[in-house]
Amino acid sequence: MKKLSLLFAASLLASPLALADVVVIGHPGGPDSIAANEVRDLYLNRSKALPDGQSAKPFELPEGNASRAEFHDKVTGRNDAQLKAFWSQQVFTGRGQPPEEAGNAAAVKAQVASTPGGIGYIDSADVDDSVKVILTP
Amino acid sequence: MKSFFTVAPLALAIAATPALAQDTEQTLERMQQQLNSMQQQLNSAKDTGVRFNGFFSTGYARASNDAGYAGITEESEVKDLSLFALQGTFDVTQQSQIVMQLVGRGADDWEPKVEWAYLSHRPTNNLQLRAGKMRLPFFMYSDSLEVGYAQPWARPPQSVYGPIAVTSYVGADATYNFNFDNSSLTANFFTGFTDEDGNSGDVELRNVAGLNLTWTDYVWTVRGVAATAEADIDATRLAAQAPAGAEVNTVLADGDRGNFYGVGASYDDGRWQVIGEVTRVEVDGKFADTDSAYLSIGHRLGTWTPYVAFGWVESKDDEERLGFVTTTGGDPLAPESILNFQREDYSVGTRWDITPGVAIKADFTHSRGFDKGTGNLNPTYILSSGTNSTNVYTLKLESAF
Repeated sequence: MKKLSLLFAASLLASPLALADVVVIGHPGGPDSIAANEVRDLYLNRSKALPDGQSAKPFELPEGNASRAEFHDKVTGRNDAQLKAFWSQQVFTGRGQPPEEAGNAAAVKAQVASTPGGIGYIDSADVDDSVKVILTP
Repeated sequence: MKSFFTVAPLALAIAATPALAQDTEQTLERMQQQLNSMQQQLNSAKDTGVRFNGFFSTGYARASNDAGYAGITEESEVKDLSLFALQGTFDVTQQSQIVMQLVGRGADDWEPKVEWAYLSHRPTNNLQLRAGKMRLPFFMYSDSLEVGYAQPWARPPQSVYGPIAVTSYVGADATYNFNFDNSSLTANFFTGFTDEDGNSGDVELRNVAGLNLTWTDYVWTVRGVAATAEADIDATRLAAQAPAGAEVNTVLADGDRGNFYGVGASYDDGRWQVIGEVTRVEVDGKFADTDSAYLSIGHRLGTWTPYVAFGWVESKDDEERLGFVTTTGGDPLAPESILNFQREDYSVGTRWDITPGVAIKADFTHSRGFDKGTGNLNPTYILSSGTNSTNVYTLKLESAF
């Protein structure tokens, strides 16, 4: 019985992590919030600036990452193959470069925390006070 | 002696334990600071950076006869589909960059040609100005015509992309983005002249000016374009009609006005991919004015995207070609009506995304209507064989990196 309740308590603790949503994070010096369509414009090469006017530096997680899939599903509506085809058209017609990739959530957080205008997305469980959450899509 | 060395670290560790927590915190803080400064150095190195991207295609195609649809004949080795492109993006300042793209094609013995070379400047978030050598953005896929990886098909629809051989121009353009809540509108004005030589040197355009507007809500995209230019067109292929030694009058346009119009739309919800375009090319003189269109429907099933496409091209000024193609001496060689078009293309194929960055495409295209005019195909073969149609089989491997 004791074991069972322990298991139950553990699962309660674990479940918010397992179900955590992807959140959009920004550099502490950037705006406090951003609209989902402004984030989409940044990640689909339609805009280069944050709502407060400063130049934006978006960061992307690598292909195959679960948070990346969730973010793009909610914000840009595109999967990895579509994104790759989209960016190859943008790049080779000189319209722009895709967001820089950072290897994992910790790297995205470190980049966003240290880059003025930095914006990224990570699992809400990985957020700490080096960055701020500016949108929960 | 040996035991002293094993015991000593242990004794040290025990002695240090009370101070450990504080030390660890300080060390961590120092490391964090170092990491931050390293990160900043890394970021500043990237800001002054140079980036390289590229794309690659290779493939195999063969046709059921020598009509020369898209340059493909019965002998597959006649048309090498391989190409390799390398693009460098060099940041000059935060707002300015230089982009250069070199393309080497197997069909040109891999001799690299500069397809893009321009300086781009972004004075505001929404405005981009460019000057240099760029691709002509006549129709929806004109400026990414060779980036096969970015396209659903094995080959861009020939009804629209076949008749115009020019690909790049030297000039300037300005692009402005209007971002709305759930959509965006991009206006692009371009002007310049073409400086092509070699394989597509039979068309020259001067004083090109055009405007294209693209609206998208990220599922639907609608595009319109209008452009004008002075055209010189020399249909060198016609020379093949001449008996040995005779010179053929192959100039179809000499400083004549050419106008280009196009309306395109696409729908892409992640599963269905529907693309259609209607275009019109008008050039004063003998060069065939064409109306053309295509409609393509694809459906994503995991990594597979099978598609069907239908294309159509028709010349609109056939009454201007009732005479004969002549030698420079005035002897008739062939009816001018061979320059007419009235062709239909039916394609079925599939794209297979092996992994993000690499795709394989297979395509079968049936084209017919050659009896009404050979258009931009091989008139010598079509006239002598009486061929009315061709079947083209294509397998392509495409990559972008």
